Amino acid sequence: MRSYYALALRQLRTRRLRLLLTLAGIVLGVGMICGVLLLAATIQRTFTDLYDSVYGETDLIVAGEDFSSGSLPPSALDRTRATEGVDQASGIVFSVVSLVGEGGKVDDGSSSTLNATGIEPGSDLTDSRITDGREVQGGSEIQLEESWAESNQVEVGEDIKLAAPSGVVDLEVVGLFRFSNGLDFGGEGFGTLPLPAAREAFDRPRAFDEVQVVVADEGPSVEAVQQRLAAEFGKGVDVATPQSKGEDVQDQVQALNIVLYFFAGMALFVGGFLIFNSFNMTVLQRMREIGMQRTLGATRPMVVRSVLVEAGAMGLIGAPLGLGLGLLLAIGLSAVMRSVGFPVGELELTPIAFVAAVVTGIATALLGALNPARRAGRIAPIRAVLGAEGLRDRPPLRRAAVGVAMIVPGLAGAFLLGASDETTTPVVAAGIGGTIAIFFGIALIAPFLIEPLTRVLSWPVRRLAPVEGRIAADSARSNPARTAATATALMIGLALVVGINSLGASFLNSIEREFDQSFRRDLTVQPRGLSPGQGPQQTLAAGVAEQIAALPEAGVVTPERFLYLGDLPRPAGAESGPPGIVFAFDPALYPEVDSTELDAGGASTDEFYRRIGRGQVSIGRGYADEEGVEVGDEIVLEGPSGEQRSKVAGIVETVFAGGQTVGMSLQTIEKVYGVTADSDLAVTASSEDARPALEAAVEKVVETDYPNLTVLSNEELKSQVEEQLNQTFGIFNALVGVAIFVSLFGVINTLAMSVIERTREIGVLRALGSTRWQIRRTIAAESLVIALIGAAMGIVIGAGLGYALLKGLAFGIPGITYTPPIGTMVGVALAAIVLGLIAAILPARRAARLDVVEALSYE
Amino acid sequence: MEATSLEAPAIEIRGLSKSFGSGDTQVRALDGVDLDIERGGMVAIMGPSGSGKSTLLHLLGALESPTEGTISLAGRRFDGLDDRELTLLRREGIGFVFQFFNLLPALTAEENVLLPALIAGRRDDAIRERASGLLDRVGLTPRAEHLPSELSGGEQQRVSIARALLMEPELVLADEPTGNLDTRSEAQILELLGELNRRDGHTIVIVTHDPNAAAVAQRVIFLRDGRLAGEVEGGSPQRVLDFLADSHPP
Repeated sequence: MRSYYALALRQLRTRRLRLLLTLAGIVLGVGMICGVLLLAATIQRTFTDLYDSVYGETDLIVAGEDFSSGSLPPSALDRTRATEGVDQASGIVFSVVSLVGEGGKVDDGSSSTLNATGIEPGSDLTDSRITDGREVQGGSEIQLEESWAESNQVEVGEDIKLAAPSGVVDLEVVGLFRFSNGLDFGGEGFGTLPLPAAREAFDRPRAFDEVQVVVADEGPSVEAVQQRLAAEFGKGVDVATPQSKGEDVQDQVQALNIVLYFFAGMALFVGGFLIFNSFNMTVLQRMREIGMQRTLGATRPMVVRSVLVEAGAMGLIGAPLGLGLGLLLAIGLSAVMRSVGFPVGELELTPIAFVAAVVTGIATALLGALNPARRAGRIAPIRAVLGAEGLRDRPPLRRAAVGVAMIVPGLAGAFLLGASDETTTPVVAAGIGGTIAIFFGIALIAPFLIEPLTRVLSWPVRRLAPVEGRIAADSARSNPARTAATATALMIGLALVVGINSLGASFLNSIEREFDQSFRRDLTVQPRGLSPGQGPQQTLAAGVAEQIAALPEAGVVTPERFLYLGDLPRPAGAESGPPGIVFAFDPALYPEVDSTELDAGGASTDEFYRRIGRGQVSIGRGYADEEGVEVGDEIVLEGPSGEQRSKVAGIVETVFAGGQTVGMSLQTIEKVYGVTADSDLAVTASSEDARPALEAAVEKVVETDYPNLTVLSNEELKSQVEEQLNQTFGIFNALVGVAIFVSLFGVINTLAMSVIERTREIGVLRALGSTRWQIRRTIAAESLVIALIGAAMGIVIGAGLGYALLKGLAFGIPGITYTPPIGTMVGVALAAIVLGLIAAILPARRAARLDVVEALSYE
Repeated sequence: MEATSLEAPAIEIRGLSKSFGSGDTQVRALDGVDLDIERGGMVAIMGPSGSGKSTLLHLLGALESPTEGTISLAGRRFDGLDDRELTLLRREGIGFVFQFFNLLPALTAEENVLLPALIAGRRDDAIRERASGLLDRVGLTPRAEHLPSELSGGEQQRVSIARALLMEPELVLADEPTGNLDTRSEAQILELLGELNRRDGHTIVIVTHDPNAAAVAQRVIFLRDGRLAGEVEGGSPQRVLDFLADSHPP
């Protein structure tokens, strides 16, 4: 051995099981962080690639905000070409379409989705090259991205059918192309059509969706041209470089990233807890040994350092393992995201992940081991003789006071996170910090709760197995600090599950209540996978509404049009509006299908709709409260096609889009945003009798001519929303599951230590006639007690956390009320029982296998 | 560490007292003990449990601090030294042999002997040679590469003794060194300790309740209720037994 500190490393080898269990904590925590990092990097690269590919040679893009905020007027192209400094300008139209497969059906999933663009032949500005066939020249032709064609088994020379806004269109595949950076957009495809064919297919006869600009080499700079174009068009038109478009997407993905990092951070936190507990146990077990080293002349700092060296070594070993796990996690998460329609490309292996793995691993290990190391340093040499005898195991009461003091600001932090409308860094920090403060506070208080909690929660165990239960309860009580630390680690994961699901349950409840109240329609006809706010959405063909209206079973058939904007129409006098959804309807017919609660400032509902018809707007309650807007105030509408100032006719009590909505007539949305296509149709039956037959009739219409659409009853719509919510929350629950898994290792560690400490006692029990199974049950009982304590604390804290978060959210989304997730709470309790039993398997086996004679003479 | 003066006693104890606890439950483990031990001497300290003999040893080894009184080792006083200074004192001036051996289970016999050098940061050849020499002196060269779990109790204690001698301490303290051993090993250890004193000149203080162990020493000192209760010459278990019988009349 080279030095005293090498001794620490040698010690690692002696307790292999504990090393593995502790290491597992680090590995999982580091794995989560790396996984999330890799995923975030991959998402970023996917979108950067997208913009690089699609706008390869473009300098500027003239369009509505984001991709989906409406169309430019027909004059846009000429006006752009006339602007000084513009060398080339290409006007395009765009739509999301679906591939119609065999038998006229459209498959679910990204591989049947095609992002189709119509351009003037010869003006392709993408960063791509033809690999087979030729470019489109005219007529009903299309060129397809190579890998998408391959995965759908489409070749040059074939005809394909696409479900587009105008219906099903036939196109001939004349060429295949490839983007030079090999863009992988999560399986979605890209295609290019000649502009005339596209205008017909997308039902966009005159408007442009985008004008792409190439700035001349000589003459004004790109910035100068940008300013000129911005001045030429109104406020509603965005003139941006491809890079800044890419950055905009980054910001939107940011919110998702933060949530992912939060959960990864929690897993890491639990990992650190595991280290803390594990090292505390090690220090306790080695008390005699460390005392002996002090008698041999090891100074306090030397002892502290040697514990830290051991921890650092663990961190270093765990780091590469964690990185490997992170890779797997990232791959898994990508697949999950793709399955919910979010395009994620091939995994990006950023070197930052590697550095992060090492830093996180070592930092977590060192931080977790810091307190135990200091304790080790305080071990007096006399311990070489006394061992652990006479040690006070109850932490000072002062700690409980600190703990309580941390919980209150912690709850406040969580409340703040829910209440704020923007996910800015200080707000997120407050939320995450607040949550950690709550957990830390509980950890400090927990040792004092062990006594009463054990008494209560061991009751069921003692009923089932009196002797084992009693021994288990005593064991848990004998070292309250250790029991508390173990239970707290488990508590964190369980509390998060309860907290998250409170949000889910509350949202779901509120949404369902609104559905029940406001839906007067019988059916909804919409594109599959409609999700306003998640990028460009498919729209309905013009003929759908006519055909359905022609059915005898159909009564009212009226459309809705949605538009997600990062910047909703602002109140007059404000700089900008919050992100949200603009939706449009026909004020004459809409009251037949909708009865959402309204506040029209005293006017009647009829008068409200009349005002909408005259160009006024409605706003959601969330928007109204946040921006302080009232009925009668003015809102400024600035879209790519026009501008308008409108009065607020009424405030809608809705939780849709968090209450950040602006409603208007179909005329208004066409005039300002150029939106002419419907997002969905609301249909009522012509009479009570016709209702049962309506759905079948509508489905028949849709099936043959519009295979990309789906017909949903109100119940089906509700359960679709529920499913989407569950999917999202399911991902979060899975991430929290990692933290719970980590804490399990802590339970195993504690049980193993407990077995060692009670070796002699177990020997006595066996000598007195206890069977091996009885010994196993004792250990299992102790595990159950700890797990139940963790669950009890988790349920209470989780409910509190959820409540605080929700009360905050309710600030911005009035109408959301707190619903306790009873199902989840029961599930958590059951899970705790199962987890407790699982954790006990290994230690119980060990205890049962102890040789009686050896155990009796164990010192 | 060489002594500075041949005449000054190795250990000087004056008015040494130690109390534990406070108020009603206060226990006075040592009560005003005065004692001198000369260099190269071997003293056994005997007494019933509660007599304070272990406490006296712990104080001698700077494992605890006295409530009153002073201790000097080779003219250097313990009181007034801070934790770091005491640690260094223990490192180089005092060698311990414990009842429960206290070897590190992960290290071989030789590595255990070298542990004090490792702690002191010494890796030179001289100290390594000294370690093998000591292992040889205690008769364990063939077992040098074995782990403690592979050694008998007696062998472990011998490793312990070799370790205690590595840094050439001024003083060797043994706390019930044979308490955990069978009679044969016990005899071997006692013989070894006696040799280390007579032949090699180490100053040794051993705490024991076993008259056989006490007999190996030159002086046997008795403690009762924290105070000195008498002294006999060492070398004979019978003398010790007689003294004990005299002090406990039937």
